[in-house]
Amino acid sequence: MKEELAKRIVQSLKDAGIDFVTYLPETRLSQIVPLIQNDPGMELIAAASEHEAVTIAAGATLGGKQAAVYMENTGIYVSSYSLLTVGKQLGVPLLLVVGYLGGVPDQRNSFLYATIGNHTIPVLQGLGIEYMVLESGEKLETKIKDAVRAMNALRGPFALLFAGEFSI
Amino acid sequence: MIRHECLELLATNITNQLVVTSQSGQRIEWSQLSSHEGNLLVGMMGCAVGVGMGLALALPHRKVIVLDSDGSVLLSLFNLATLGNLRPKNLVIYVFDNGVYSGSRISYPTATSGNTDLEAMAKGAGIENAHTIRNVEEFKNKGIEALTRDEPAFFVCKVEESLMHREIPRPNTDLAENKYTFVRYLERTEGKPIPFIGRG
Repeated sequence: MKEELAKRIVQSLKDAGIDFVTYLPETRLSQIVPLIQNDPGMELIAAASEHEAVTIAAGATLGGKQAAVYMENTGIYVSSYSLLTVGKQLGVPLLLVVGYLGGVPDQRNSFLYATIGNHTIPVLQGLGIEYMVLESGEKLETKIKDAVRAMNALRGPFALLFAGEFSI
Repeated sequence: MIRHECLELLATNITNQLVVTSQSGQRIEWSQLSSHEGNLLVGMMGCAVGVGMGLALALPHRKVIVLDSDGSVLLSLFNLATLGNLRPKNLVIYVFDNGVYSGSRISYPTATSGNTDLEAMAKGAGIENAHTIRNVEEFKNKGIEALTRDEPAFFVCKVEESLMHREIPRPNTDLAENKYTFVRYLERTEGKPIPFIGRG
């Protein structure tokens, strides 16, 4: 992804009120990690599993932060239990910033990723988690702000799936 | 030693700490022993340590206590590695290790009944202040004492299986109700709104 897009993602997260990010790095959006790390207005916490990343972010939200979890879409499968329990059942807003590998708009799609991508949206739907697919930087700031407002209104996780321009 | 004895002692030492419980017996026993508004009864296995870590990081000036079990910690062992690196100074974790999946009603053994040593695993993961506690006196002298220290602590409390919680009425506070009581308590004691609540 172009450096400019990475900067716009991080700035938009910050402008939307996100001040706490847990993560497990992946390939498509990894340029955002050092940008978040170097931003004094955001706390970045490395987790060892996406399940853990979701639970830490949920605790931080209950403690007064506005939290995002950055992960690959495979992390949706790993964390589906905590997304359902602490996310949906307890009702804790969380912004899922997801590298959408293997989806149709993934510009680096291959036989390695296609199955992973094929199941992402049905699994989110099965979990009852609303989502938005982003393929370009058009209205990026507005879309991220909309997602943060939606997660707070819904009292639960909301997923942003990044592909297209973001996956180059 | 049984878990209830430890929890009784702990309950008399609660002031403004935040207490996160996992699923299983300690959630029920703790609900009966403590009506503290800072209790968050996370009723799911493998989630309490993560939620406790998040709270401890968000509120570094507040002491956060996690009550967990061997089965639950074994379900989320990656927490040990993250804890061992983050080392939040305000987090005290008590793992009540009875060596069985008691909630299953067949009490089949967990790995800690075999060769697995949670204290050694915690130390190997980087949690220096990890200890095994084997009696109530030790729980009082080491476990309760840790609440006064400014350092992370991880206690593996070896307990006999007790079915006392099955005689205690289960809490009738639903998860959302508990969450809002907890969050409102935080808003009051921290003197600031919790952002996600927002305004309708």
